Amino acid sequence: MAEFELDCLGEACPIPLVKTEKKMQELDVGDTLIVMIDHSCALKNVPEWARKNNYDVEVEEVGESEWEIFIDKTA
Amino acid sequence: MAEEAVKKIVDETEATPSSRRSSSRSSRRSTARKPKKDQTLQGLILLVLVIAFGIYLATISATIGIFWLTGIAFGFILRRTNFCFTASMRDPIMTGSTSLTRAVLIALAITSIGFVAVQYGASIKGLPVPGMGFVVPVSFATVAGAFLFGIGMVLAGGCASGTLMRIGEGFGMQMLSIVFFVIGSFWAARDMGWWTLNFISNGPRLHLPEIFGWTGAITVQLVFIAVLYILADRWENRNQEL
Repeated sequence: MAEFELDCLGEACPIPLVKTEKKMQELDVGDTLIVMIDHSCALKNVPEWARKNNYDVEVEEVGESEWEIFIDKTA
Repeated sequence: MAEEAVKKIVDETEATPSSRRSSSRSSRRSTARKPKKDQTLQGLILLVLVIAFGIYLATISATIGIFWLTGIAFGFILRRTNFCFTASMRDPIMTGSTSLTRAVLIALAITSIGFVAVQYGASIKGLPVPGMGFVVPVSFATVAGAFLFGIGMVLAGGCASGTLMRIGEGFGMQMLSIVFFVIGSFWAARDMGWWTLNFISNGPRLHLPEIFGWTGAITVQLVFIAVLYILADRWENRNQEL
């Protein structure tokens, strides 16, 4: 049940998504990845990609135009 | 599909992880979280200034006042919906998601109906059809230009509207994008005469109502958009099965 952080602050879309895809492959089932983003585009496509892969996703706005996406690797 | 949409809304509007996530799983970051700034007052002041400046602009020219309002509304909608023309063209290939592609298609369908209404309205009154100045020749230059623009907008992380919106959001990299966007536009404007003379003006001018009639034009357009919508929907679901 480890927790990993992926700092994508300052990265334009679609880099956060590409990084998230790669990072999720390294994670074990049950782990959680926290993706930090500040590009609103990633706010849409990262959760969408994760839900498509049947991961649990939560999005939280932590600051002005800054978000954290919690992705649980469920399978 | 509907479930997913509801889930998304719930995820985005519901409480912070501390109340939603069980305490055993609460993350390091969510415990040591800086409190969110409340910007309601700034927002209200800005709204008043926007309206005041709009009224001021309207005294100079009604058109500029309308541009001001539509520009602000457009930016607000882009920002709140995460609507992105770049993503609508890029995501089908990169992620297999076509939700924005379909959003753009719906927007085009609505715009088409609006344009036909305005142009048809003018034409039955015998007035000159508005917008005909924007009916430009179609040629290989259109395809080549679109392809180059596509490469550029994916690298820059946004088209013109997306870049402007993200500058408003405070995204630093895109301030760099806009600088080169402006340089590129100036350069294009400088050479436009040559391109127009040698390549662009050779193409035919297409205005669908002149070919199919008003009813025919809107039917052809909407059917074409509907076909693209269905293809986009299939593309998304096809990827899901893999």
